Amino acid sequence: MKIENYNKGKNGEDMAREFLVKKGYELVMMNYENKIGEIDLVVIDKDFLVFVEVKLKVGDKFGIPEEMIDKRKLSQIKRVAESFLILENKIAKKFKKYRIDALCIVLNEVDKEIERINHYENI
Amino acid sequence: MLIKILSMANIGLKSENVDVEVNVADKGFPSFGIVGLAGRSVDETKERVKTAIINSDIEFPVAKITVNLAPADLAKDGSAYDLPVAIGVIAAIGEVKLPKEKAYFYGELSLDGSLHHSRGVFLLALLAKENGVKDLFVPRMSANEASVVEGINVYPVDNLKTLIKHLNGEKLIEPLKAINVTEILNDIRPEFDFNEILGQQQAKRALEIAAAGGHNIFMMGPPGSGKTMLARAMAGILPNLTEKESLEVTKIYSLTGNIPPGGSLVRQRPFRGPHHTTSQIGLIGGGSNPRPGEISLAHRGVLFLDEFPEFGRNSLEALRQPLEDGYVCISRASGSMTFPAQFMLVAAANPCPCGHLGDPKKECKCGSYQVLNYQKKLSGPIMDRIDLHLTVPAVDVNNLMIDKQKVSGESSLEIKKRINEARKIQSERFKDLAHIHSNSDMKNSHLKEFAKLSDEANLLLKQAVNKFALSARSYFRLIKVSRTIADLEKAEIIKEFHVAEALQYRL
Repeated sequence: MKIENYNKGKNGEDMAREFLVKKGYELVMMNYENKIGEIDLVVIDKDFLVFVEVKLKVGDKFGIPEEMIDKRKLSQIKRVAESFLILENKIAKKFKKYRIDALCIVLNEVDKEIERINHYENI
Repeated sequence: MLIKILSMANIGLKSENVDVEVNVADKGFPSFGIVGLAGRSVDETKERVKTAIINSDIEFPVAKITVNLAPADLAKDGSAYDLPVAIGVIAAIGEVKLPKEKAYFYGELSLDGSLHHSRGVFLLALLAKENGVKDLFVPRMSANEASVVEGINVYPVDNLKTLIKHLNGEKLIEPLKAINVTEILNDIRPEFDFNEILGQQQAKRALEIAAAGGHNIFMMGPPGSGKTMLARAMAGILPNLTEKESLEVTKIYSLTGNIPPGGSLVRQRPFRGPHHTTSQIGLIGGGSNPRPGEISLAHRGVLFLDEFPEFGRNSLEALRQPLEDGYVCISRASGSMTFPAQFMLVAAANPCPCGHLGDPKKECKCGSYQVLNYQKKLSGPIMDRIDLHLTVPAVDVNNLMIDKQKVSGESSLEIKKRINEARKIQSERFKDLAHIHSNSDMKNSHLKEFAKLSDEANLLLKQAVNKFALSARSYFRLIKVSRTIADLEKAEIIKEFHVAEALQYRL
């Protein structure tokens, strides 16, 4: 089950990357990880360095992906992002503006096709 | 889309308009937040509103919802913002049309979308009348409280669905018929009877005077002599509440949530008998968000303090100011508020720890120091504020034997009739004065006009004051009690035997 979820998440991050690249964002890093936590995607949007949290849900039986990103999760992402700015100084110093985005993907329960992708900027 | 809905906040007994502003934004990460100094119970509104809307077959919007409770610097608490927030959200997504005229929405939601009994609806009705707002949407269980206020339309709401149908004009809710206040006020019956108590004629007479004029009374006697029973029976002879008094009491009871679901006005005079372990704040009122205490819940009624010396000294001494002023002003960091506390104090105590001091049949076992310590708790200033001091002697058990028992004395109904008549004279007398309903409420400046003494009565009073070194307060209180005794006999001018009887309870 855990492995299944992990694969699903991986799948979601791939979809998200594709979506953002199509939108004109430039990929910096995928699945950045340090001792504080991890960030799904780090991308560049013009002069912004953007940290993206990706949430994927199959069907709506267990609620919508937006519900999964609460205050606690957001502050966790913020902490990792701040540590990224210090640890990956080489990349970070090129930017003056940063922001956190969320990408919520819902898959159809039957054929696992994408039902909707919502991109929320600066959450 | 931004929606504004009118609701209410209570600060003490004062109510203020609150604008519930609901904004449902398409842009931004979906969330649901309430701002405007909302307390914990208001914060939980989010969960109730969300679930209630879903359970009313309406899709909850996936959007950034911001609720603001204006004015934002006024602390808000309570669950009654559920209904305005829910209606705001539903209106913002266009599922319901808001009324063109201003209207109040107030009430706590259940998860299934129905409405719970909410406290403070009576205050809401008064606020609506004051502001000239005609329509009120409140829970059905609380709607009766509001319907006694004239000139407003009270719509009893069962659940969200029926309210939406009403507002959309699909199926209208019938507004409640205004209840006639005098009609419901007369509909009460006594619960405990005076003729069940054998003997103690003097005590009964004193209680009758106390009830007729709203005077404070103190009963001292050995255990088992019937002090508690007398006090409890007193609830049955209290005069009917007048319309004005009832509104005052209902205000306090509505605020504290003491009105049962479906209830309207408080019809019976309050009779509160808090236990002697009650804290000072429980008795006087207070807390960081000040709430009325027992003395305010006993407003226009009786506060019965059994085992008077057992109460904490602080609690007893704190009674001083409200006993004199008829209100209590509580100041805390969050603000200062005034609660009415025009109550009649009925206190009962034993003369000493063992209870038999001065009993002709049983010996007192207490040492003199013990007795002194016990009686020291009843401080001079408190006792000075009590008009009628009474000794309730032990009853001869021979007279209580079942075979000899007969109904003794008058029934509560007969006594109550006399008391009601005496009260009628009083309310006629004070009809032009606000907040004065009985003789004990009179200020000293009123005595000259309302309590005319005959020459002999004046002389007797003067002699008594000089001989027994009575305080100025005692002097004025004596006149008030004499006034009540005269009222019971329907006498216009206070005669010397009225004063003599009043004196007898003072010494």
